[in-house]
Amino acid sequence: MSYSNTRLVPPFNRSPSAVAIRSVPNYEADVEAILWETLQELRPPVRDKSVLLKPNFVEPDMEGMINTHPVVIRAAREAFLRLGAKSVVVAEGPGHERDTEGILEQLRMRDYLGPLDRAFVDLNTDEVSQVSTRTHASRLKSLCLPRAVLAADFVVSMPKMKTHHWVGVTLALKNMFGIVPGSCYGWPKNVLHWAGISKSILDINSTVRPDFAIVDGIVGMEGNGPIQGKPKASGVLVAGDDPVAVDATCARLMGLVPERIDYLKRAALLLGNMPEGRIEQLGETIANTRKPFEMLPTFQQIRA
Amino acid sequence: MSAGIDLYAFSHQERDILTPSHEFFADLLRRAQNADGGWGYRPGLPSATEPTAWAVLALQVLEESSGKTLTSASNWLQQAQMRRGAWPTSSGKEPGCWVTALACLAFVSLKIPSQDAVNQGTKWLCETWPAEGNLLWRLRHRQHKEDSAVHQDHSLQGWGWTPNTASWVEPTAYALILLQNITPGTRPSQATRRIELGEKMLYDRACPGGGWNAGNPLVYGVPGVPRISPTVWALLALRNHQDHAATLEGVEWLHQRCQNLRSPASLALAHLCLRVYGRTAEAIELKLGAFYSNNQFLQSVPAIAWASLALNDLPCWLGSPSQSRDAI
Repeated sequence: MSYSNTRLVPPFNRSPSAVAIRSVPNYEADVEAILWETLQELRPPVRDKSVLLKPNFVEPDMEGMINTHPVVIRAAREAFLRLGAKSVVVAEGPGHERDTEGILEQLRMRDYLGPLDRAFVDLNTDEVSQVSTRTHASRLKSLCLPRAVLAADFVVSMPKMKTHHWVGVTLALKNMFGIVPGSCYGWPKNVLHWAGISKSILDINSTVRPDFAIVDGIVGMEGNGPIQGKPKASGVLVAGDDPVAVDATCARLMGLVPERIDYLKRAALLLGNMPEGRIEQLGETIANTRKPFEMLPTFQQIRA
Repeated sequence: MSAGIDLYAFSHQERDILTPSHEFFADLLRRAQNADGGWGYRPGLPSATEPTAWAVLALQVLEESSGKTLTSASNWLQQAQMRRGAWPTSSGKEPGCWVTALACLAFVSLKIPSQDAVNQGTKWLCETWPAEGNLLWRLRHRQHKEDSAVHQDHSLQGWGWTPNTASWVEPTAYALILLQNITPGTRPSQATRRIELGEKMLYDRACPGGGWNAGNPLVYGVPGVPRISPTVWALLALRNHQDHAATLEGVEWLHQRCQNLRSPASLALAHLCLRVYGRTAEAIELKLGAFYSNNQFLQSVPAIAWASLALNDLPCWLGSPSQSRDAI
């Protein structure tokens, strides 16, 4: 089970990470081919493994800027199956909206994945196990976590590239809030807020570190994210096997300094690489694809 | 599937799925019951408090055909109650405010309730205050009031989802519906105050323009978007204040949204709520049938229970509420 294999590696003992940036102008582009090429290059070890794709679904969204786009999710599912995965399931536990099926139907996920009772697991209401957290940054010493996540061989965090009004940005690491089930903690998962969002992000990711991350930055959100901001067409997909390196790269693309983002700084101590010099950049360069995001006044200090 | 479909082209079983009755969903619930008497969130999952409570509340309306089922469910709920009176969330360890209210409500709805379990549960609920009430929080909040991203009256405390967190709309609404269903003489002493504060808190959290979201109507000055489920439960908890402006706005918002809902849970809950408010709601059997064909409701036991409730007579616990009229 992936949670027992989580690596907590200090920076001095860590090999560099590879992160790919791919230009994707819009969702009508051949996302499937682009992601397949990217994954062939990055070669995630998924042969004969059960893969769990964890997108970011928050609430129904008519403008397509809140939730991970189904085109990207379908492309990831197909790519991992082509790489030899034994199974690929999509799983998420929305944080604000109890009606998960309502979000899925608004996103037309059934058109992309087929009948959802087979293709999708609602992490808010899955069977849970109590698991001790591997770090104790927050006061949470243990978490209830869903069986689908704990039993998966390979967890892929698939966030939307967005600003966040409490922690600055929400990317691959913050997206893992969604594995914490509403059936234990409510809608929203307010226990995590009271325990400190930045600290909880570290505790969750140290316990279930995503094995891979694919960020949907084709259209993201700037300003008062993660739900009340404005759409931001960054036109990129960002992928890699180190969620810290992926998030740091996304932050740079958003015109931010990752070292000034509290939870990323914490995560870089144990979970992955943040310095540019420790990240091998594949595909496009940051300089060519950077599109600074508008930030709330409270987060001006994290801008480059 | 369109409303003009020829139902007679289908077998009885297919027709049941296309235009399901409350009995169709009740039967799904009965078949999903675990051997221990409880229900999981999906068939086959370990029993948990919330789905068990919803299943009891849905099947109680059909008591004659559900006697044995309800007895074993009631036994499961009773043994699941924690020592302090609360019920656990599905972790089996942590108490949950919302599941405690729902478990008590399930007992209240049964003809022979376990008075002891209800008394202990309501006592625990009334003694459990949200964390924004504690002194440290109030001092810190007062100090940073100018910078606060959310502008709401934190002295109006309802209930959190779990102890030691903030008040939110849905758990507050569940607790209010429970307390409204308990005879004043047998309520805990703090109940009247908690009802008054809880109702005021719900009105304070109403979204500008009508309806409710999880509980943050304004963040950084931007109005929140109302959502079906919190709006339904807030309105049901406030059903004895039907003339209040925010109630009327909420009902209007819900009525407008009801036409375009794409999922069984929201549709069933909205339909149930509008019936309580005497608003004509369109027949929903065909839509529920189509939703069931699409995704089998994601196998969600609460969604199946809400569908059954929506298609049946109004349950007694949503009947005339009580005694707290004019509290606002």
